[in-house]
Amino acid sequence: MPERVPTGSHRSAGSAGSAQRGWLLSMPGLAFLAVFFALPLLVLLRVSLYQSGGRSGLGMGGGFYTPGTWSLDAYRGLFEDAYFIDVLRFTIAFGLQAALCAVLIGFVLALLISRLHGWKRLLALAAIFLPKLANVLVMVYGLQLLLGDHGPVNQLLTPFHAGSAPLALLHNYPGALIGEVYLILPYAVLLLVATLDRIDPLLRPAARGLGAGAVRTWVRVTLPLALPGLSTTFALCTVFAFGAFVAPYILGSPDQFTLSIDIQRQAFENSNWPRAAAEAVMMLCALSVMGLLFQSSRGLTRSMRGDGPRS
Amino acid sequence: MPALRLSGVRRNFGDTMAVDAVDLSVAQGEVLCLLGPSGCGKTTLLRLIGGYLTPDAGTVAVGGVDVTALPLESRDIGMVFQSFALFPHMSARENVAFGLMARGVARSERERRTEAMLERVGLGLALRNRRPRALSGGEQQRVALARALVIEPKLLLLDEPMASLDRRLRESMRQELKALHGRTHVSTILVTHDQEDALFLADRIAIMASGRLLQVGTPDALYLHPVSAQVARLLGDANILEVEAVAAGRARLAGGLSMPLSGFDAIALGDDVLIRPEHLVVALGSGTMGRSEPRETARATVTSIAYLGADCVAELRAGDGTVLRTRVRADLLRRMRVGDVVGLQVESGRGSQLSVRGAAKGAALQGSPMSALPRRQLMDNDKTAADMRTVSDA
Repeated sequence: MPERVPTGSHRSAGSAGSAQRGWLLSMPGLAFLAVFFALPLLVLLRVSLYQSGGRSGLGMGGGFYTPGTWSLDAYRGLFEDAYFIDVLRFTIAFGLQAALCAVLIGFVLALLISRLHGWKRLLALAAIFLPKLANVLVMVYGLQLLLGDHGPVNQLLTPFHAGSAPLALLHNYPGALIGEVYLILPYAVLLLVATLDRIDPLLRPAARGLGAGAVRTWVRVTLPLALPGLSTTFALCTVFAFGAFVAPYILGSPDQFTLSIDIQRQAFENSNWPRAAAEAVMMLCALSVMGLLFQSSRGLTRSMRGDGPRS
Repeated sequence: MPALRLSGVRRNFGDTMAVDAVDLSVAQGEVLCLLGPSGCGKTTLLRLIGGYLTPDAGTVAVGGVDVTALPLESRDIGMVFQSFALFPHMSARENVAFGLMARGVARSERERRTEAMLERVGLGLALRNRRPRALSGGEQQRVALARALVIEPKLLLLDEPMASLDRRLRESMRQELKALHGRTHVSTILVTHDQEDALFLADRIAIMASGRLLQVGTPDALYLHPVSAQVARLLGDANILEVEAVAAGRARLAGGLSMPLSGFDAIALGDDVLIRPEHLVVALGSGTMGRSEPRETARATVTSIAYLGADCVAELRAGDGTVLRTRVRADLLRRMRVGDVVGLQVESGRGSQLSVRGAAKGAALQGSPMSALPRRQLMDNDKTAADMRTVSDA
């Protein structure tokens, strides 16, 4: 900073200079984003605009796409393909349901954990987060063992459905859902514990002291204050679950194939890179639309709960 | 029937005794101030009364009913937290109405009482729909007060209500609290570490340290006749001087000061005597500058003078090294300088015995009714004094 007393002109010159410096300082970050985010995205977009078939751009015999062509065939194919529409619809529904389950279960766990202190809290959080250190495949294969017809879950449930067939929890919708919820639950718990920790711990006793019972205190104080955190967590979990791959692939059946699974199949089983790239672009678009919807719904609730006059 | 009676209330946190066998009663309509250094257990005691904590032992009775086992929500006690603990997602109005809603008060009645209480605490109409975040500290405090008072509590608890306000706001809130109490007459317990709050607001002050009540009494009784040096220092500036000699009806104190023995029950060598700075009279040169004619004069050198507006506080060093503080009218400043040697006397009738170090401790001391002020006895048994007051109020 200059030692002189800044006059008007000095100050504006200084701020222009610092703006320039700001650009310079953010250059490494921007360069990183350009190389590792923008560039691959552009490549993806370009691949989606190739004609399928022909000789591969990599010069291999298979023919992932036809080099040097420009075509919207891949996109046209998407909307004419009922199977793709089905997969897209399923992926969205699956993502929303997995997120909802994760938020509900996560909220209960977070409420319990937020009341713990010291090493007990640490232990509880570790128990929820440690499985994340293991490989996803290991976790999902573990679940496969747990959920099988003769697995521990069914053995535990035997007394309740004695005689009848074991609960089918594998290679079907429940299996895929349980697996995905299991994978995103730790994030939900962590976010919701942080949300609950931000609520002033005196508010609950203050409400009780004013004569409100436990239920009223929860409904009128704890829940409304946790609501913004709940909705953020739901949005984030939806994004995670929208990209679900491993859990529905291993724990579900072909009926539970999601967009990610289909992209992988198009790219490596059908050798149709333009189609796979087009699906990936559609996936990004769907996510963007969901993000916008979420943003506007947040704005809406905020204006509904706003400080306007009320009776 | 007292508004509140605590008997043998005790509470530990792990190994620390936060509140240790406290007996206390508060008369109907009285303002009692719990005063003590931070960490002395005063807030813990307040939370035990409010039901936010349960005592390990002892009973809490509100309006003659034992509420020790009663849950928080059925106690009918209003509480203003230090941080106010207003509900951030509700407007000022909704915050105040919350307690009424929880009590099932009908909507029209609820609105009427909410508006009336907000009017009473002086929160402007334009502010009533604002969230706490959009209100200033003083306004938030008004909302917190209204929220606590609108349920017409049997007891109002205030936890350092002025701690988060700046000095000027503090003084005006103090006035308003007093005025508000004049209108509501709700029995109030106020926790503070600020002696000015305590002296200004309290009918009685309870001094707390390390989880125990050291002394309970009216502000002037505690100011003039504290039971210990600790209490004396918690309420204002204090010269605490040892008795060095007793002869000819007078006691000679450290620093060469002297005072008559008449009026003291028993005073012996080694006892501590409290002389408030404003009760030390400075004599400059030949003339006497104070309000009474001195009999014996100590000599001391002025080491520093602090100007405080109307008064100034001078620190002096006596011949034996004792440091003395005196509070004199500021116009004396013109005639007194650092390094001057001046004469000092104890204003006649002033000075209070703090402790008895001799073997006769306890035997020489008797409690006395609060009404017998001003008096010069030690107030050791203040529980008795407090109870007598309560009885006479009932």
